[in-house]
Amino acid sequence: MKLNRWRSVWRDLLVRRQNVVGINRRNVELIYPFNERRHFAIADDKLVAKEVLTRLGVPVPRLLGVANGLHEVGGLLARIEGEEHFVVKPAQSSGGQGLLVVGEQVAPGVWIKAGGGRVTLAQIRQHVANIVFGAFSKDRPDRAYVEERIQAHPVYQRLWQDGLSDLRIITLRGTPLMAMLRVPTAASGGVANLHQGGIGLAIDIETGRTVRASFRGRPIERHPDNGERLIGVEQPEWDKVLDTARRASRVPLAYLGTDIVVDRDGRTLVLELNARPGLEIQNVNGQGLGTRLMEVLG
Amino acid sequence: MLSVLKLKGLWKRIPRLSAIAGALVLVAVCIVGLKVWVWGLSLADVLPRTQYSVRLSMRLDGNDDSVVVRSFLPMSDARQQIRDEQVADASLSHAVVTEGMNRKVIWTGRHVPDGVLLSTRVDVVVQPIRYEIDPGLHLPASYPLSIARYLKPAPYIQVDSPEIEEEVRRIGADHGTILERLGAIYARTSALTARPFKGTTDALTALRLGEASCNGKSRLFVALARQAGIPTRLVGGLVMNPGTTRTTHQWVESYVGGHWVPFDPTNGYFARLPEHYLELYTGDEVLFTHTRDINFEYQFWVSTELVPAQVASAVPGAFNLWGVFERSGLPFSLLRTLLTLPVGALVVVLCRNVVGVPTWGTFLPALLAAAMAETGLFWGLLSWITVIAVVGLLRSTLQDLNLLHAPLLAILLAFVAATLLGMAVVADFVGNAQLSRATIFPIAVTAISAERFYMSISDDGMPDALKRLAGTTAVILACYLVMNSLAVQMLLVAFPEVLLGVVALELYLGRWVGIRLSEYFRFRGLLVEETP
Repeated sequence: MKLNRWRSVWRDLLVRRQNVVGINRRNVELIYPFNERRHFAIADDKLVAKEVLTRLGVPVPRLLGVANGLHEVGGLLARIEGEEHFVVKPAQSSGGQGLLVVGEQVAPGVWIKAGGGRVTLAQIRQHVANIVFGAFSKDRPDRAYVEERIQAHPVYQRLWQDGLSDLRIITLRGTPLMAMLRVPTAASGGVANLHQGGIGLAIDIETGRTVRASFRGRPIERHPDNGERLIGVEQPEWDKVLDTARRASRVPLAYLGTDIVVDRDGRTLVLELNARPGLEIQNVNGQGLGTRLMEVLG
Repeated sequence: MLSVLKLKGLWKRIPRLSAIAGALVLVAVCIVGLKVWVWGLSLADVLPRTQYSVRLSMRLDGNDDSVVVRSFLPMSDARQQIRDEQVADASLSHAVVTEGMNRKVIWTGRHVPDGVLLSTRVDVVVQPIRYEIDPGLHLPASYPLSIARYLKPAPYIQVDSPEIEEEVRRIGADHGTILERLGAIYARTSALTARPFKGTTDALTALRLGEASCNGKSRLFVALARQAGIPTRLVGGLVMNPGTTRTTHQWVESYVGGHWVPFDPTNGYFARLPEHYLELYTGDEVLFTHTRDINFEYQFWVSTELVPAQVASAVPGAFNLWGVFERSGLPFSLLRTLLTLPVGALVVVLCRNVVGVPTWGTFLPALLAAAMAETGLFWGLLSWITVIAVVGLLRSTLQDLNLLHAPLLAILLAFVAATLLGMAVVADFVGNAQLSRATIFPIAVTAISAERFYMSISDDGMPDALKRLAGTTAVILACYLVMNSLAVQMLLVAFPEVLLGVVALELYLGRWVGIRLSEYFRFRGLLVEETP
């Protein structure tokens, strides 16, 4: 009896694993054949991505300024002195490291920081210098840039207020394979990264509705902090999102992960690109990529 | 599964890969075949041998004048093969000289402090030996001059004594074939009552008392044999039983039909010697001579380990790596490291890409395992973990200083060096010679590990860094087990071409798209239907 059960579990596993893409298969069958190494820079450097996407006519958050080297820090600061609601970012960090999200200006040279507290011009200067020195890019010199702060669409505002929920769409040769929404939690500290404690929501590509949600590897139905319903949420501007993803995939990375946000004006803006996506999204969707790959390529 | 993908993406690559891998395996098989069938390499040639490690440690006090200590170092011959030799001297200096047929090591020093430790260490592989003496062989009419001197009397070997003459007649060793004479002498001397005498017993005393220790029996054997016309000499050495001992041993060799044939009347070996006899010198010598009043003490420490055999010399030239190393004077341990490192790297690849263990780097675990083969697993791991722990502690102090990368790593290296030095000091302080071996652990790999650990804490955070540390340790252990496996070493020393097969396997793994073992856990929700 028990043996039979295990045998059926095993047989089931052999069938199911055909559909799951692990690191080895992703690298050998998706990344190496579709993404040339020399194009990785487009995804690995957010400023390069911004340039390439702008050229392709894909909407991205408005760029306020760039500091390439210590001598350009002063110029960048002069550009933002009068600005409000902006984000300071390193071009090459990963996992949302080195982000400084700035809100209203309360006095000359003093702003409210996202998540509370204040930040001065001198502190921003220090942060920009750190980015340029490579504090967030494994000690390789980096570029710092400032872009507009995105105000999330009301649908996402309701799910989580401080911090930005974003959509990850994986495309293969322009065809969306899988999609998920990432929502920050109190534990993730405003970042929507899954392994930092964000919630992953599977999106049905046809309808744009969320069908599953998982938090720390467990299925959930409501946001663990505010109790908001997570299943059946309809994505605003879904067709536009898919269209943006398709257009973004005209960069020379045929297998691509595109991170998109929808702002309160309904703009669909690409935040960054990923040349090696596709593992955790399978767990979020409760489904392997294999079947979708066969549909697209077959 | 993904048949279209494979056709499109890999159609061009797979056949080429298979061709390369196949060619590699074919070349390997051909060389193995050549060795086995053409050059006649057999299993017996590659079976492991027992290697004896003999450590002689001596302790002495200095005096105001100069100090001289002399001892012997063994030589390689048909029976015993010295694979490694080390001579250590504290505040003395040493020279190795050849005197007659022996190698002497002489330490000299002036104003030597008390409690000086000297040591020698030899690694030796010995073949048991046995001679068949032709029963029809008679004494030759004369011996060459160099051999004839082994018929003459010596201070403790009273060949001319009437009592010896009389004894030779009495036991019937004055007539007959060589075998008969040696048989009679062997029977007579081995029948002496064994007595653990200390000091020197001459041949005549042994005969008169009817009892003797090994040196008395051997001297009597030499005296009787010389009187009977067979050139014979004393041999001194060590019976290598694992453990510590102060007891040395003496036996004899007789010149029969152009060979020096061994006899040990004390332990009952006739024309043969077992594997665990180490010959240190020939002749009526004393193992140690030294300046008086220095409280000289000594001890032998013997340990054994199995090592791969030397590949049969039938395999010529470049195909016999061991021969190449021997001619170049390179140590066996280097050959072992070079041959096993690629296999260690394969183990790392398996651990990373098939099992899915997170590690630092591909070569690092294999290199660390190779280093641990030199120091011993325990001391190597201890050294490594200590250094890593020091780096972990240091980080908490250094991170607030916001230092630039390069100077920070330089500081790290200084602390790694200091840690190893500290271990040497502690080893000396607690008198643990084993612990000092941990200091030998190569600073290069240790320093690289330290850097990786430090960077890993910064990049991945402490929990992930610890996970990688655990993963790296596990992979080091796996590498160590494989790289130090006698079977693997035997195979590689005899058939280094097996490494081509390793490369072929790595080509396969380079295109292997299977799910890693760890991913079965990661994707368990996708792979196993959840039970309601």
